Amino acid sequence: MRDSRLPYGLLALGLALLLWGSYWGLFLAPRETYMGDVQRIMYVHVPTAWNAMLALTFAFACALISLFRDDPVWDARLEGALEVGVVLSALLCMQGAIWAKPTWGVWWDWDPRLTTTAVMVFAFGGILALREFVDDPVKRATWSAVAAIIAYVDVPIVYFSVKWWNSLHQTQSSPETVSRAFQWPLRINAFGMLFLMSGLIALRARLAFLRREEEVA
Amino acid sequence: MPADTGVISGGWEFVWAAYSVSAVILTGYAVSVLARYRAQRRRRGEVKR
Repeated sequence: MRDSRLPYGLLALGLALLLWGSYWGLFLAPRETYMGDVQRIMYVHVPTAWNAMLALTFAFACALISLFRDDPVWDARLEGALEVGVVLSALLCMQGAIWAKPTWGVWWDWDPRLTTTAVMVFAFGGILALREFVDDPVKRATWSAVAAIIAYVDVPIVYFSVKWWNSLHQTQSSPETVSRAFQWPLRINAFGMLFLMSGLIALRARLAFLRREEEVA
Repeated sequence: MPADTGVISGGWEFVWAAYSVSAVILTGYAVSVLARYRAQRRRRGEVKR
């Protein structure tokens, strides 16, 4: 795995965009008619949700490639994407709970969207735990790739849960249903989170690769 | 807070809480990844102390 400055550049760009988008969302974007200022949580919650699912989708792709190509680079990428995906998913649940309290009156509800998201955190978190317990790098790569492919079944269920069931959580918004005044900070933060996530996955994957090299040396 | 009108007034404390939790977790995790990566490279002798 090559060492380059690119991940650091991605982290810096992601941080700059997140600061800009968050400032816009907090201080410049108008107040929403019904939710008032509480709606400003959307500018950080929705980008976290998109990127958590994107990181886990990348983990799924890495798991598939890792199974078919006996290449430790893809196993390292799988580990990086899994860890970043779990961190973002756990953060997503916390942000959601904070937004739920003033809007729904409760911190948590066993609603299909929230429940399937919690399952996502524990399923992928469990794979990270599994990796810690397996000493053989080849078995670890195979078992965690298979487990990641099975766990990924939950990700589309998370996405479609609000359409399939009568959920307390609102359905997905689209540019047609979101006022233009809200779109810019949302998009800036979404790209900020995307760059941050990409930089973190790249660095975490390199770390996993270096550790594996040390293990087999 | 939810009122009879269905309109929520106030709630900035929740907004700050959500942004603060996000900042702390993302910064903490990024620092942890950078520190672990640097420590691993140091062990291989790629980075000087």
